[in-house]
Amino acid sequence: MPALMRRQDPSAAVSRSNSPSGNRASLDASPAIAARSGMRAAALHIWRAQWFVVIRAFAVFIALWGLAAYLVASPLQLPSPGKVFSAMVGLAEKGELLSHTLISASRLAVALGVATVIAVPLGFAMALSRELNAYIDPIVELLRPISGIAWIPLGLFIFGVGGTLPVFIMAYVAFFPLLLNTVDGVRGIDRKLLAAAETMGVGPRARMLHVVLPASMPSVMVGFRIAFASAWAAIIAAELIGSPSGLGFAIEWYRQLLMSPKVFSFIVLIGAVGYLCDLVLRALQRKLTPWSEGMGIGA
Amino acid sequence: MSTQATNTISTAALPAWVKAITLPLILTLIWQAWAMTLPENSPAPAPLKVVESFIALTASGELIWATIQSLGRVLGGFGIAMVGGLGLGVLMGSSRVVRENLDPIVESFRPIAPMAILPIAILWFGTGTPAALTIVAYAAFFPLLINTIYGVSGVDRQLVRAAATMGISRLRTVFVVIVPAAIPSVLLGSRLAMGVAWTAIIAAELAVGAKSGGGTSGGIGQMMFVFYAYSIDLNGIVVCMIVVGVVALMIDRLFRLAERFLLPWRN
Repeated sequence: MPALMRRQDPSAAVSRSNSPSGNRASLDASPAIAARSGMRAAALHIWRAQWFVVIRAFAVFIALWGLAAYLVASPLQLPSPGKVFSAMVGLAEKGELLSHTLISASRLAVALGVATVIAVPLGFAMALSRELNAYIDPIVELLRPISGIAWIPLGLFIFGVGGTLPVFIMAYVAFFPLLLNTVDGVRGIDRKLLAAAETMGVGPRARMLHVVLPASMPSVMVGFRIAFASAWAAIIAAELIGSPSGLGFAIEWYRQLLMSPKVFSFIVLIGAVGYLCDLVLRALQRKLTPWSEGMGIGA
Repeated sequence: MSTQATNTISTAALPAWVKAITLPLILTLIWQAWAMTLPENSPAPAPLKVVESFIALTASGELIWATIQSLGRVLGGFGIAMVGGLGLGVLMGSSRVVRENLDPIVESFRPIAPMAILPIAILWFGTGTPAALTIVAYAAFFPLLINTIYGVSGVDRQLVRAAATMGISRLRTVFVVIVPAAIPSVLLGSRLAMGVAWTAIIAAELAVGAKSGGGTSGGIGQMMFVFYAYSIDLNGIVVCMIVVGVVALMIDRLFRLAERFLLPWRN
């Protein structure tokens, strides 16, 4: 998925590089005008700065939300931003925000761990052995279209309501992107690199460790990010339906109690945690596989 | 390593389809054998019982009707998302000002899972079809939007300039240059969106069923929930799971076919 594209188009780059030089020209003309235009330039600079754009966008969004809440005039259906904020503070003080987040996050971690431990070695094996691939790939392709969500009723029956069901669903959901990206990564290795290593007398095990592993890592990391995103979406469904704790449970619980501000608080939290985790994973991707610069999700 | 090598030599000559069905067949047989060791009244699903259940559910028309109901909702939600996603996508893709200002909002909604919206949808619309449509539209919106933005903003400037040089009006440029250039991304976005929409409808119907005590919503997800909570028919659940998978596969293949048909200049 060509997501998260922040490519500036060429015209934007041109206009941006033009403006400072234009200001510099006016600075030379007269000190008074220079000071004024300097201030204007500074103001313009802040106005265009990325962090300010974000704050500005959120301010407008929250204002519109407030207006909508005022017009709807039903705190049950659309609580005002202020109410949601105070509900959030209340929940944070009681420690509920943190406890539900920690529960969901630990389930997520376990599920991603399980999926990684199974999918990545299997992916390597499938990519390296055509025979193994011929046997395993069909069953993977049979199961893959069945979404994790569809496993919830059967999973409920097997595991019961509790913490195991979300972990199972998430591990299932995370398994496929990890496996497929690992297979792709290993298969996509430049043959010349392997041939070069062989020519230089590097043994099979060292080739594996020093050529195949690093060369496939970027793709595995991309798989991991997709796996995280799908698991994060699945955990809400799994906890909402079949778990007595966690973020997905919390939103539905407060919905049933008709405490809308708390419902909205948890929804904001779900978005925030998902966003932060993706930031961390992206940083990790840059750190672990610096040679894959510019590789977007699903690339 | 050596055992694997001997194994490789002994089966390498088998045709591909034999290898393909080996593992599914073995697993199904094990599953059937395991089920036969259980007492007769056990609710555990078994392959033969699943086939029986499939025939019965198809004959009664229940399965087909539930699938049509779910698909109808997916199409409805997808249509809503298409209008919103394409419209906003073209705006954000062609105007830098719009994109810079809306991007933070879009990016902060994206990590909110469709199912997290469900409680709000229920509060607003109750437990019927509108709530399910909302979830589907929300889920399908983001892939459509992001791929449209990508497609529109990625149009080669040279082409736009060439069109301008040749005296083609702005409006015509949009239809003659920008839209055809953006179609591949939009189609990709549609395929991804339909995939998530299908997942979302199952989740929504399941959850709506689970939280409203069943009955009101219908669809294949609801059917699964009724099998789980009321009639305790695990074979029926497995039938539904298979149908969910088959429909997902068909949607995916249909869009891939459309991509090949509509974009003959690729590949």
